[in-house]
Amino acid sequence: MRVDDPQLKKIEPPKMTLADRFFLPQVAAGLVVTGKHIFGVAFQDTAITVEYPEVQHVPSPVYRGVHRLNKDEEGRPKCVACMLCATACPAHCIDIVGATAPASWPDREKYPESFVIDELRCIYCGMCEEACPVEAIELTGLYDLTGLSREEMIFDKTKLLSVFDVTRDAEPMRFTTPPPEASSATQALESPVS
Amino acid sequence: MATILINGTEYPIPEGEKLNAIQMAKRVGVEIPYYCWHPSLSVVANCRMCEVEVGSKDPKTGEVKMMPKLVPGCQTPAKDGTVLVTDSAKVQEHQRMIMELLLLNHPLDCPVCDQAGECGLQDYSYEHGQSNHRFVEERIVNPRKDVSDLIQLNQDRCIMCTRCVRFTREITQTAELQVMRRGNHAEIATFPGVSLDDNPLAGNVVDLCPVGALLDKDFLHKQRVWFLAKHDSVCTHCSTGCNISVEENKGKIWRVKPRNNPHVNDYWICDEGRYGYKDDSAPDDLLEAMYVLKGDDHVAVAIDEAVRLVDRGLKQAVIGGRTVAGVLSPFLTVEEAYLMATYLKGMTSDAVLAVGPVPARGEDRTFSPDKSAGRSGDTSFLAPRPFTIHAEKAPNARGVRAVIEHVQGAVVEYDELLRKVEAGEVGALYVASGSPTDWIDEPTAAKVREKVAFLVVQDSRVGALAHKADVVLAGGTYAEKAGSYVNADGRIQYAGASLPPRDGSLPDLDLFAVLLDRPGGPARSSDVLAELAEAAPAFAAAKGGTLPLYGATLEASASSPRENGPPPFVDAWYAAMGAAKAR
Repeated sequence: MRVDDPQLKKIEPPKMTLADRFFLPQVAAGLVVTGKHIFGVAFQDTAITVEYPEVQHVPSPVYRGVHRLNKDEEGRPKCVACMLCATACPAHCIDIVGATAPASWPDREKYPESFVIDELRCIYCGMCEEACPVEAIELTGLYDLTGLSREEMIFDKTKLLSVFDVTRDAEPMRFTTPPPEASSATQALESPVS
Repeated sequence: MATILINGTEYPIPEGEKLNAIQMAKRVGVEIPYYCWHPSLSVVANCRMCEVEVGSKDPKTGEVKMMPKLVPGCQTPAKDGTVLVTDSAKVQEHQRMIMELLLLNHPLDCPVCDQAGECGLQDYSYEHGQSNHRFVEERIVNPRKDVSDLIQLNQDRCIMCTRCVRFTREITQTAELQVMRRGNHAEIATFPGVSLDDNPLAGNVVDLCPVGALLDKDFLHKQRVWFLAKHDSVCTHCSTGCNISVEENKGKIWRVKPRNNPHVNDYWICDEGRYGYKDDSAPDDLLEAMYVLKGDDHVAVAIDEAVRLVDRGLKQAVIGGRTVAGVLSPFLTVEEAYLMATYLKGMTSDAVLAVGPVPARGEDRTFSPDKSAGRSGDTSFLAPRPFTIHAEKAPNARGVRAVIEHVQGAVVEYDELLRKVEAGEVGALYVASGSPTDWIDEPTAAKVREKVAFLVVQDSRVGALAHKADVVLAGGTYAEKAGSYVNADGRIQYAGASLPPRDGSLPDLDLFAVLLDRPGGPARSSDVLAELAEAAPAFAAAKGGTLPLYGATLEASASSPRENGPPPFVDAWYAAMGAAKAR
């Protein structure tokens, strides 16, 4: 959809009432929530923090942690080295060297010879995941990323593929290619012009 | 004055040129999409993308009569009273239909296609196409094949514009390519037993291809085109001086593309120039530091120390009464040659300036496309221009000679200088090069070393003479320096720098500026050229230090008006458009 599409609807934020502009009711409402939490922890044992590392935190399914490179059914990296993730990356932390796919992969034209992500430079925004046309790169729920040197935090292809092996059971591929639709007769659509 | 009516606005038609509707509309900022048309190829009007509403205005009554059907713009001459409508619903509907037909069998593999980002199909699909694909049958899959060792053909991406076929028939007149079979089965192929290997201009079919069908294997899958920074430069691989665009990313050159210059190379470059960048894109033998001979071994020294040693050594030779000589290689730019000549002549007026050896290989090869021979289709818009690959494999022999003639009066030839060296007449020798190949062989180098007491070599790469020199200065490759070159026709053209100087090196112009103790920090080539133009009548055409877009002939005087050709032609998809235009 284009920016100047006539079907686009512009929405203005709602006008603030007098009470909204004082902000005090909102502050009070916030304090009530805080009070509920204090009461819950003190008297009802409903703490929302965990005793890490004895207890492991399970992040939400949309949490954006360490990247992984997905593999296809034959164990090859799904990545086609189109470098759209590197293009989308606002932190310039992805470096890909593309190469012509080996002759033994007849269905593939291009593959990543090297795929390196600097996990220290990455801001975990998830743009790479969104840009990927083949769902090859995904952010996992791994949040406890540690290392003893900067070099260790620069993940190469092998390491990124191994992250997939570690997380594939806990987090199956989020976007799998939809099955091809049953072929139907060619439908004539109305022309968008005139 | 002849006028044309485009979308309701009247525009004057430039005189002296025969333009078609696409060109005329482009001049006034109206875009007519096209695929198969190219200004130097005959018009076949087979892609049907440029069809517009055409009519004519009666000069007496002012009445406009439109043709009932759409007409290809590439075939429509822009003449007085022509009426073009390029944005009506009828035209848009037609463009949408053509896009849909062209994309019926086109694979959706833009992520792995090298043309993505500068692809006619992508751009026009965005501008004039539609987002849905109504074709539900299997797309034709056609395996990729090779048309030469360096060019790959992905036939399923081809839209049968036949630009490549017409190029081999009309420009190189070798006709290696053909359209095989008809209709839906049509495909581009080489004739049996023929390949593009022997065609020295073969790489141009890749540039001509508006889609990702013909691809350069040298560039294949290496970079995405939107990462590349383009720098306007001039090819240094022969004395033609083709205008090129050097495309670089991460400090490395990835490919070289031609730029349009109607006076020099038209739209083409030869394969030697196209792939010659490899010599200069970080090979192993580039000099990484300045070196000084201490004992039997070369020691890396800081730039300022090396330059001081050069200056001291040459001055000692002058004080000792020995002759100082300089060899100015034809790979130096005009500005560098001028600064080097002034430096040596400023030290002693007895200094001998010689022009370096001009490498020659093979014979001049000229392709002279004919206006009609070998052409098919409409040729009435063509202005065929010859393209020559020169045997003289140096970019600036004429410029260096002209500089030496100005500074010294007469040029000392390289062989003459070698004779002087052998006779022991030369006490100190300063050799400045930039040649991509080793041009002084081992025996000559040994002979020179034996006879010359103080030897300075300034080069970008390690050569036989550098191994024996007292001081080795690391200069820039052609990609690292900016300056002007004078080509075989005496046309002086500016080449910009594409890469920053390597670590440990300085561009040659800066080295000479440091030796000369020029005030004002790093030397700008335009300042030096302006000085030269003031001082030397031969370079009067470069007055002010700036050169016109297409360069200037040295014969032109400073007062004569600067020639301006038509605006350089570049295919719409190589220019920023679509999403990039909106950014």
